Amino acid sequence: MFHQTKLKTFVLLAILVGLIIYTMNGSYFGRELVVEVAILAILAISVDMVSGYGGMVSLCHGAIFGLGAYAYAAVNVLMGGPPALAVVAAIVAAFTFGFAVGAVTSRTRGIFFIMATLAFGQMIYVMIFDSKSLGGDDGMWGLTRLDLSAIGVNLESGVQFAIFSVLCIGLTYVVAALILRSAFGRTFSGIHENEDRMRALGTPVWKFKALAFGLSGSLAGIAGALAAQHTMFVSPELVIWTFSGEVLIVVILGGLGTLVGPVLGAVVMVFLKHEISNITTYWHMIIGILLIITVMAGGRGIYGGLEQYLARRAAKAAPASGAKTDA
Amino acid sequence: MLKVANLCKSFGSLVVTDDVSLHLEKGERRVVLGPNGAGKTTLFNLLAGEIAPSSGDVFIDGKSITSLPVEARAHIGLSRSYQKNNLFEGLTIGENLSLAAAVAMGLSGSLLRDTHNDPELRKVVTDVAAQVGLKDMLEMQVANVSYGNRRQLEVGLALANGPKVLLMDEPTSGVGPSMISAFHGLLKTLPRELTVLIIEHDMDLAFDVADSITVLNYGKVVFEGTPDETRASSLVSEIYLGDWDDDA
Ligand SMILES: Nc1ncnc2c1ncn2[C@@H]1O[C@H](COP(=O)(O)OP(=O)(O)O)[C@@H](O)[C@H]1O
Ligand SMILES: [Mg+2]
Repeated sequence: MFHQTKLKTFVLLAILVGLIIYTMNGSYFGRELVVEVAILAILAISVDMVSGYGGMVSLCHGAIFGLGAYAYAAVNVLMGGPPALAVVAAIVAAFTFGFAVGAVTSRTRGIFFIMATLAFGQMIYVMIFDSKSLGGDDGMWGLTRLDLSAIGVNLESGVQFAIFSVLCIGLTYVVAALILRSAFGRTFSGIHENEDRMRALGTPVWKFKALAFGLSGSLAGIAGALAAQHTMFVSPELVIWTFSGEVLIVVILGGLGTLVGPVLGAVVMVFLKHEISNITTYWHMIIGILLIITVMAGGRGIYGGLEQYLARRAAKAAPASGAKTDA
Repeated sequence: MLKVANLCKSFGSLVVTDDVSLHLEKGERRVVLGPNGAGKTTLFNLLAGEIAPSSGDVFIDGKSITSLPVEARAHIGLSRSYQKNNLFEGLTIGENLSLAAAVAMGLSGSLLRDTHNDPELRKVVTDVAAQVGLKDMLEMQVANVSYGNRRQLEVGLALANGPKVLLMDEPTSGVGPSMISAFHGLLKTLPRELTVLIIEHDMDLAFDVADSITVLNYGKVVFEGTPDETRASSLVSEIYLGDWDDDA
C-alpha cells in the first residue's frame, strides 16, 4: 500500500532539482539526455502504478506510449489541430486503450496476463505499421510543440523544453501518488494482496483493474505526447515492444512498488547507458548484470536498498524503534 | 431474512450439499453443527456465491440472490469470515479493516478521498478493532501477528464489511480457551437485528449463543431444533459426539 514518506519526497525533489541544474549547465547533448530521462521516468511511474501496486505486470506500456505519440501526431498533423488538443487526444486514446486492455485481461493472472498485454501491444504496432494514413513505416513529420507563451515559456528553446519535461515528471508523480493514496488506489492494492477476499468484501474487481490500467495508460500517453513534441516526428519504432521491456527493467532496477524508485531507475539507466556506451558497446550486458544484482539483493531495487540502509542506520541509532518499511 | 430452498451441490459423483433448506428470521442466531466433511463450509461457499449450486435457491429478504456474483451479495449485506484465514497479509491490521469498511461505506471507488486518513472511516475501523480485541494493534503488519490475532481479524473483516447477515466459519478454530470466551463475549455485543449463522465446534459456545441449531451430516440437514432439543437428541449425539474425538 502506498505511503508518501519523507524519504520519497526528498529523493523525488533531489532528482528534479538535480536534472534542472544539469539542464541549465549542460550542453545540447546533456539536454537530450534529460528529456530521455523524463520520458522514461514518466513511463516507469505509469508502469509501477499498475505493476508494483496492482501486480499487473505490463508489456504493453511501450505501445500505449506510442499510441499516445501517434494520437498527438494525428490531431496535430493530419487534422491540423492545436498542440493542446493533441495532448488531450494522446491522453484520451491512451486511457481508452488501457481501460480496454485492463477490462479484457481482468480475469487472467501471472504469465497469462503478461502475454495478453504483449499481444495487445503488438496489435497496436501492427495497426500503426500497416496504416497508410498514419504514414506506415515512414511515420509522420512536422509536429509542433505546445505554445506556452502565455506564461512566458518558449518550448522551442531546448533548455526550456528540457525543464518542462522535468516538471512533467513531477506532475505525473503527483497524479500517480494521489490516485494510489485514494480509496480507489488502496482498494486496488488490496486486490493485489488478496483478490478473492477483496471480491468477497464486495469489490467488482474488473472495474478497478480496468480503471487503474486506463489511468496508468493515460500517464503513458503523457509520455507519448512529450516524446512526439520532442522529436517532432513519430514512427513505428516508438511502438516496438522491447521498449516495454526496457521500462520494466527501469522499474525493477529503481524499485518495483516504490513509485519514486522508477524515477531513480530512469536517471540511472539513461546516464549509465550514456557513460558505458562511451567505453564499450556491451552496455546491455552491464545493465543486465546490474539488474541481476538488484534482484538478488532482495528485489526492492535501488530505492528499496536505500530505504533499508537508512532504516538500519536509524535502528542502530535508536534500537527500540520498530521501523516499518512503507511501500 | 435468509432463506435457503432445496440447495444441492455435487463435486463429480460426491454429493456435498444434499437438498438443504433453511430459514433464518431477522436477528436469529443459528449454529451449524456437523462432523468434518459434512459440507458446512461448502454450504457457506454456496450462500456467499463463491461456488454455484447444482440446483436450489438462496433468498435474502425474499429476493433470490442465486444468480448474483460474490461482490453483489456482499453489497446487499451478506458478509462472511473464513475457516482458513483469508487476510491481506502484507498490510497492517488497520489497513485490512479500512479496506472492508470502505467497501461497506461506498467509498472504495473514490479517487478523491484518502480513506487512510478519513475520520468517519477511522471511527468504524477503531470500533471494530475494539470489538474483536485488536484495538492496540492497528499499526501491526498482519504477517507479524499471532494466529489468534489473525482469527480475530478474520471476524473483524466480516464485521467491518457492514453485514446484515453474518456468516462465520469456525471462528474459534485453533484458538485457546481465553479467546473462545472473548469471542463468546463479542457475540453477545452484536446488534440484535443482525442475523448470524455460525459454524462452530465448541459445544458450550454453540448451546449458549444459539437461538436454533442445524445439524448437517453427509450434506443433509439431519436435525433442526433449539439448543435444549439438540442436547436431548440421541441422533445428534450419535452423529456428532461419535465424531467428537476427530474434531477436538
Ligand atoms: N472444491 C471441491 N472439490 C471437490 N470436493 C470438495 C470441494 N470442496 C469440498 N469438497 C468435499 O466436500 C466435502 C465437504 O467439505 P466441507 O464443506 O469443507 O466440509 P466441512 O466444512 O463440513 O468440514 C468434503 O468431502 C470435501 O472433500
Ligand atoms: Mg469446514
